[in-house]
This record gives sequence, C-alpha cells and structure tokens, in this order.
Amino acid sequence: MNVRTIWANFVAIYRKELQGYFATSLNYVIAGVYWFVAGVFYIILFNAVQANVAAQDLQGQAGLGAPPVDVPAVILENYLGVLGSLSLFVLPLLSMNLFAQERQQGTLELLATSPITTTMVAIGKLAGVLTFFITLLLPILFYESLTLLQSEPPFSFGLILLGHGALVLLAAAILSLGLFISATTESTLLAAVGTFGLILLLWILQAIADRTGGWLANILRHFSLLQNYTSLIQGSVSSTSIVVFLSYVVLGLFLTVQWVDGLRFQRA
Amino acid sequence: MITVEHLTKRYGSTLAVDDLNFTVEKGEILGFLGPNGAGKTTTMRMLTGYMPPSSGTAKIAGYDVLDDSLEVRRRIGYLPETPPLYREMTVEGFLHFVARIKGVSAGDRAKRVDWAIQRCGLTERRHQLIRKLSKGFRQRVGIAQAIVHDPPVIILDEPTVGLDPKQIIEVRHLIKSLAGDHTIILSTHILPEVSMTCNRVVIIHKGRVVATDTIDQLVNRSDNRTQYELKVAGEVQPLLAALSQWTGVKGVQTQSQGDSHVVTVSTEGNTDIGPELTALVVQSGLRLYEMNRRRATLEDVFLQLTTVEETVDADTDE
Repeated sequence: MNVRTIWANFVAIYRKELQGYFATSLNYVIAGVYWFVAGVFYIILFNAVQANVAAQDLQGQAGLGAPPVDVPAVILENYLGVLGSLSLFVLPLLSMNLFAQERQQGTLELLATSPITTTMVAIGKLAGVLTFFITLLLPILFYESLTLLQSEPPFSFGLILLGHGALVLLAAAILSLGLFISATTESTLLAAVGTFGLILLLWILQAIADRTGGWLANILRHFSLLQNYTSLIQGSVSSTSIVVFLSYVVLGLFLTVQWVDGLRFQRA
Repeated sequence: MITVEHLTKRYGSTLAVDDLNFTVEKGEILGFLGPNGAGKTTTMRMLTGYMPPSSGTAKIAGYDVLDDSLEVRRRIGYLPETPPLYREMTVEGFLHFVARIKGVSAGDRAKRVDWAIQRCGLTERRHQLIRKLSKGFRQRVGIAQAIVHDPPVIILDEPTVGLDPKQIIEVRHLIKSLAGDHTIILSTHILPEVSMTCNRVVIIHKGRVVATDTIDQLVNRSDNRTQYELKVAGEVQPLLAALSQWTGVKGVQTQSQGDSHVVTVSTEGNTDIGPELTALVVQSGLRLYEMNRRRATLEDVFLQLTTVEETVDADTDE
C-alpha cells in the first residue's frame, strides 16, 4: 500500500462521513440545541461576570484594593468550562452512529471486503466527526470574538483560538472513545448511552481520586478529562495534558481497529 | 481463477461448511446451489475475506483470502445477501464512493460509474436518494457496486432476490453478458436461475458439496427415470395387472377418484414405453384423457441429492 492509496482511502471515508453528517436531519437538531443552550449560557455568564466586576470596581473605589480583573479572560475560561460540560452531552450523539450504523445496515461488509484497512476507516471517521464538531464551534467562536475583542486593553484572538483548541482536543479524545463504543454494538442508542457513561466516569475520575487518596489518586487524577481540560483552559499549556488527550485518541482508534477486525471471528 | 481446498467453517460445535473443494476457471459462471442454510453465504463470505475459514484455503487469482486479503479484495466485486447501501446517498454518489474505496483512479471514476449505472439500468435513478428506491432498484444498485471497479472476480449472493420477473430476466442477461471477461460465482436456491445462467453448478447441502458438474451432466447422472402420467377412466385393475408383468417398469402408483384414475408409471433408464403403454390402455378398455412424459430435471437431481441425505440423517438420529 503506497501513500497515495492510503490518502485516497482516507479522503473517501472522510468525505463520505462529512456528507453523511450534513445529510442527516438529526444533526441539525443537535446543532440547533447546542447553539441555543451555548448562547444562553454565554449571555448569563457574560452578565454575571460583568456584574461581579462592577461590584469589585466599587470595592476598589472604596479603597479596599481588590486586584484588577482581566474580564475577557475570566469570561472565556468560565465559558470554556461550560462548553466542555455541554459537549459531554452532545459528543456521544455525534459518535453513536459511526460504526453502529455500518453494522446495522450491513455496509461494514462492503468496507470489510474493499481494499481499505480498518485503521484508515477508523481515522477517516474520526476526522469526519471532529470536523463536524469544529463547524459547530464556529458560530460560538464568532460571537465570542465579537464581544471579547471589544475589551480595553484588547484581548488577543490567539488566546480564544488556543482555548478552543483545548476543547477540540477534549472532543477528539471523547469522540475516539465513542468511536470504539459505537463499534461494539449495532444499536446506536446503546452506543450513545454507553459512551456517555464512559466519558462521565472519565470526567469525574478526579472526584473519585479525591475520595480514594494515595498513589491511586495520583494516577486517576492524571487520566481525568476534567482535570486535564481545566488545566488547559486556565492557560497552563502543559504537554502532559495534551499527551493525555492524544493518548485517549490513539487508545480509542486502537481499540476500534482491534474490535472491528475481531468481529470477523465472531460473525455467525 | 478460484481454487477452494478443504475449506471448513465451524461455529462453536456446528459445522457450517465442511471440507469444501472446487475450482472455477476464468470466464466461467459457477452456480452455487443449495437449500436455505446450506452454507452458501458462509462460503461466499470466506471467499471475499469477510470471514476467516476455520481450516482449509481459498485462493482468488493465486492470492490467499486470509494471507493476502487486500490483494484479494482488490480483485473481487461482492454483492452480499443484503445489499450494503448508504441510505442517505444518491445512487451516483454512492457508486463514486465505492469506486474510490475500491481504488479506481480519479480519471476513470466518472467513466466507470456511468458504465455501471447504464449496465444496471439505473440511468433514470442516478440522482435519487437510495432510501427512496424500491427493493428492486436497491438490488440493482447492489449489483452496480459489485461491478463498478471492473473486478476480474464477481461474487453475487442471491442476486435476483426481491426482483420482479422482468427484472430477474434483465439481471440474468446482465450476469451472462459479464461472463467471459469476468469470473462469476452466484448463489441461489432458485433452480431455473442456475440452468439459465450458469456453466457449472456446485450443489451444497449441510455444508458439504453433494455434486459439482455441468448441468447436462448432472441431469444425466441422476438415476434417469422417465415417468408417465396417465389420466384414465374405467376399470383400472386389468391395466395394473398387465403392467406388473412388464420388465423395465420400476413402479406404478394409482390415485383414484370414483371412476377416474391417475396412474403414474416409472421406468428405469431411458426405455421408451410410450407406444406400448397406449396400446395396453386401449386394450384394457380404458378411456384415456391425458398422458404426460416427465424426464428427470435439475430439480429432481437437486431434490434427490438434498433429501436422500436427510432421510439417512433422520435414520441415524433415531
């Protein structure tokens, strides 16, 4: 297999997935709800932070000497936290169809008897769904920029992008695990629920760690999605967090390929 | 082109396919015939590399389906039992996608897709969504995706299921016209299909090959009975008595309803007793209404091969 065929295969799957996302009406509903809820949270947060700051300013004027607040940074950080939690609900809905549907409608048989490796199918699918998620973020990015960049002194657009980069990284990790869960069942509903359960567990690993304590706690904390995501959006771009997310991506892809190839031995 | 040796598939303790051996020459159409559940689909899935065999080997164009899976997949077009279709794609879009993953070069793709669409009679449906197509058209799209990359080997699992009689005839013509350049295996449980499209037949039953030959030879090889069916009225006893004296008559069955009788006379081999039989009927004073001669057909061969074993099995079960 040369590089060109591998690339051609990737493009074939990627395009097919993207077309599929834009042709499915459910995804428009998901996008609509996501945008609506995200928008509402943004307005609430925006006003809350501003009110807070106004109060602090008042204290400052009264000579209480509160430190100055970087308002856009506070809004962005808190809002990314909200978006992260919100994505926990949306991402399983995006990943549930990835393999479950192929299995259910028998098209896995077409893919499995075509000269294309399962790895390429899995990577193409993940790239497709991640692209769809990124398009979901674009309008959000737009209204954030519209408001945050108005601040004085000007807030950097780069920081906004960086924060959303963390969100995309989180999404890639979750979608990759969702890809695997979706490969284990023919039911899209089961895939969605299973994925949600799994990422919820990984999300709160930190809380579990706090209860257990000891060396186990340290390990658990490392793998907590929330912990790593929070540290990234707080602006500490640590390579550890990035590595953890990328490890989840690789793990998900690896398990998917193993499982799908293993299906050949289970078929009856 | 296709060589199958000792191919076996085991699910747990059940043998789905048991020690299958056959070869298919280049340009041949091989019919894979068997009752439902005989192991046809399992065999085809092993040939396409979808399922690994438990033991034995299958080679396509010299490539082992297990060891050189990708090379095999490059050379086959496969229509599974349920056509693998993306419901939200248009016919044309789907075929483009298949052409792409089958490795058709970008320059040839449009040409190949047009060709497949035209060959399968989908020209008027090319821009329609697949989920809006009738079952017959979906089946055609299924065939189109199996031939769009012009593979040397085409494997079709029950290609005419769900089609109306006119479409069935069209599909059979299509399959026939593909032979020569392509080697084709098709499975079916419909007998006329085999006699109309295939050069050779492999009959399998309970995972085992019970016969493999050309259709003519198969029919000849059967125990070659000729049956006469007579519809007569009158006193039938003298006829039966006379028949029992004849050599060459293997069996006589009578069904009576009042004064009219249906007498079935089976003879051994090719002996033609027609003239003598009519003479005898007239002699016995019977009124003859109808007389038919039935020769062994592929259907008889098939039934014989697939039911004889059943009774044997039933005996051993007891």
